[in-house]
Amino acid sequence: MSFALAFAWLIPCAAGVAVYAAFDARRESGYWATAFGYGLVLGLLFAAAASDLLARADTAHAMAHAWLPLTAFALIVGTVAWRRSRARAAASTTAPSQKMEKWKIALFCAALASLAWRAIFALREILLRPTFPWDAWDAWAVKSKAWFLLGHYAPFVPMGQWIAGTSGESYSGPAWSYPAALAWLQVWFASAVGGWIEPLINLPWLALWIGMLFGHYGQWRALGLTRMRAMAFVYFLGSLPLVTVHVALAGYADLWIATIFGFAVLAWARWLEQRDRNQLALACLCVLSLPWIKLEGAVWMLIFVGVAGYGSLPRQWRRYAMGVIVAIVAIGALIGHLKVPLFGLGWVNISLHAIEIPVIGTLAIAFHPRAVAGAVASLFTQPNWHLLWYLAPLIVIWRWRQFHELRAARALGALLAASLAFLGFLFLFTDAARWAESYSAINRLVMHVVPALFTMLALLLRDVDFRPALLGIAPKSDARSHPA
Amino acid sequence: MIRRFVCIVVIALIWLIVLAWPAGLAWESPLVPKQQMTLDARDFRVVRGAGVEDGASLRIGSVGDDGSALQAMPLRRVHADDFSVLRYRFDGFPRTLELSFFFRRADSPADVEPAVTVPWPGDGWQTLDLRKVPGWRGDIIELGFAEYATPQIAPPNVAFKPFRFDRAELSSPSWRGSFAALYTSWFGYTPWALVSISALGPQREVAQAPPLLPFAMLGVVLSLAAAAVVLRWSRKSIAGRAIVAFAALWIVLDLVWLGDLYSKHVFTENVYAGRPWSEREQLVPDPDIAQAAAQVRNYFATQPSLHQNLSRRILVGAESKYVFLKLIYELLPLNAAPIQQLTVSRLPLNDTFVLLFGDTQWHYDEAHGTLLDEHALPPGVSADSIYQDRFEHADRFEPVWESGDVHLYALREARQR
Repeated sequence: MSFALAFAWLIPCAAGVAVYAAFDARRESGYWATAFGYGLVLGLLFAAAASDLLARADTAHAMAHAWLPLTAFALIVGTVAWRRSRARAAASTTAPSQKMEKWKIALFCAALASLAWRAIFALREILLRPTFPWDAWDAWAVKSKAWFLLGHYAPFVPMGQWIAGTSGESYSGPAWSYPAALAWLQVWFASAVGGWIEPLINLPWLALWIGMLFGHYGQWRALGLTRMRAMAFVYFLGSLPLVTVHVALAGYADLWIATIFGFAVLAWARWLEQRDRNQLALACLCVLSLPWIKLEGAVWMLIFVGVAGYGSLPRQWRRYAMGVIVAIVAIGALIGHLKVPLFGLGWVNISLHAIEIPVIGTLAIAFHPRAVAGAVASLFTQPNWHLLWYLAPLIVIWRWRQFHELRAARALGALLAASLAFLGFLFLFTDAARWAESYSAINRLVMHVVPALFTMLALLLRDVDFRPALLGIAPKSDARSHPA
Repeated sequence: MIRRFVCIVVIALIWLIVLAWPAGLAWESPLVPKQQMTLDARDFRVVRGAGVEDGASLRIGSVGDDGSALQAMPLRRVHADDFSVLRYRFDGFPRTLELSFFFRRADSPADVEPAVTVPWPGDGWQTLDLRKVPGWRGDIIELGFAEYATPQIAPPNVAFKPFRFDRAELSSPSWRGSFAALYTSWFGYTPWALVSISALGPQREVAQAPPLLPFAMLGVVLSLAAAAVVLRWSRKSIAGRAIVAFAALWIVLDLVWLGDLYSKHVFTENVYAGRPWSEREQLVPDPDIAQAAAQVRNYFATQPSLHQNLSRRILVGAESKYVFLKLIYELLPLNAAPIQQLTVSRLPLNDTFVLLFGDTQWHYDEAHGTLLDEHALPPGVSADSIYQDRFEHADRFEPVWESGDVHLYALREARQR
């Protein structure tokens, strides 16, 4: 690895960890895992943002233009974090860690080894092959490659505008409207490598996976899961076949959305349970970055803001809010359509027969029964998710009392219900059904909410005493309780 | 103790039934096949490629001009219903090749039933349930195998390596055959494909057994229920034990997935490991696209732009969306976009080019000096009106360069007819 490439990894990582440390000075359990996981992922996005802001005129040397401001940013934020951590040091809430039993250590190591094993495969896959999956080059790398090889930024515009343009400076293509965060990230690494070498440009996908697992482990620990239980959930999340595929065949944006949406949900859950405003701010940062990564990110952001905002209202206000929503829907039904501005998507026209989204197109509304088979196969028979979609509803039913009592679980349940309702509507009642029938998109969009689903399941299972099941003795009541 | 013994027997029966279902087991069939027909590889005729006898085996040393090898064997009217299980064994079969199976029936001797992709022949015997192969009925008069570079993933220029075809066997239905076919289907190697990024289920192989996941889940649920009844588990303990059982099943499924991932990865190692990036970036499943793009880039590198302040733009047409999008990516940093997306009625700029690659719906009409989209012509409408509607002027296109399947046309100032 060249010095420049090592530097290209180090600076964003340092900036990301510094930002997380500035947000979270409480040093809860799992702090360093969270700081590393969030720091790695956010840091990569900072590198993309720095390239976007500072290197448009000279993309071939993006890192040369952006490294100093990014380093300065890391140092300033790191100083803030250090000062905050010193102020908090006296009030540190980290409980002394209890020693794990030997069999738990063995299981912990086995889970780690299993994850490391697939990480090695993924790393070799990335390092050896040219970019393979279709959208990776067609939708995402097409912009970064154009900008890097051109040596400067060029806008991607609709076909009509491209044809009508007189300068010939703009580019076009089917993915002209896709957000550019990942393209700028690839420009950052291409400039560090000094050439368009796809394996090295695609390496951030492995870092993303590692960051996702670290971030979730740390936050689950902070939410009260034991080390063993947090590691078990990390194993279950990291072992999902489709997640591994998105690392090994790097280049798609879906794992980024899944990770950042998952990070937002984790931080939100900590806000709900611990009233930590820093975590709320972190959740906002994550949620606001979603539309910059993929168009669907705007939808997840809107759903998140809607559910979180509604849930934070006083009871009386919720009634008013629900009344306003019902009134808007009723008016829309009366006049036949609604035109609403949606951040990241433009003015979306919703009628009884179609949804017109400016940057995507028109989706006719009609029930597609054949898509049901595609959805069922995707979730329940294909080896994409192991047992996740069988077990998730069973766990919710089994832990219904805890689900009802835990505010964070209830809130996450509402968010996931809204998200899955959106996916159900999209794939069963619009033209997007063809992507469910062909399996070409349904699993990838489902993946966006999977880490968040794991967080809800982790909250529901954090207090279950499994020893009776293993040892054949009568179970005790829940080991600990958490505020509702 | 007795309860535990009964529990074990009941659970064993449950798993037998649960596995027999996807295997399509006929309960009345014998444990081992009653009839068996051995087909030594040396008796197969090499139709394409080259092969030599190696004892009872056939050593395939090269492929034909189209990059595939094919071996066939005539049969004396074998009744398809009598032989519903095919076993085959190869040695050293490269992961970069795909295997397909074909046959000819007595009722249509001139037609070869479409070749169907069958599980990759790894080490040892592989088994195929022929009842699930379309057209396997009547009397079979010929069967054979074909090998070719794995579509979508294997670079054709490095896909072939010599291998040995050992033997094939046709056998009558049996428990052994049914379960062996199920095993091959569930645990055989499936290569990466373009759809892998979206779903791992759909595979190219024909005769896929029902998927493993729901049957494994059903087996565990029924086993838990049986154990709860026979061993009189308390209600409270069932949930915890179920979670432990499901976690164990998750780990088993994960081990299966890790095995599959390892197999997929061996392909990547075989093709790319030990080569520098400059060589690896050429090893793509569609080298013709990359070569065409390189040729076009070279052409433009030697051509001065007519308008110094104007970047050239290229409209790309090809037979499929995949091809023209890949071509556009490979052409970068040239400014290209798909001609299929052209919805405006004019092409105003000079120094715009049209690049046609391979079979495409666009054709150059020399008489009118324009390009014709044959698919866009409604019945009864003359080509002229379409040109006039589609393009501002005819006589603006002229061929400027071609090489093999690559045809490049330039839009120039309209000439006077």
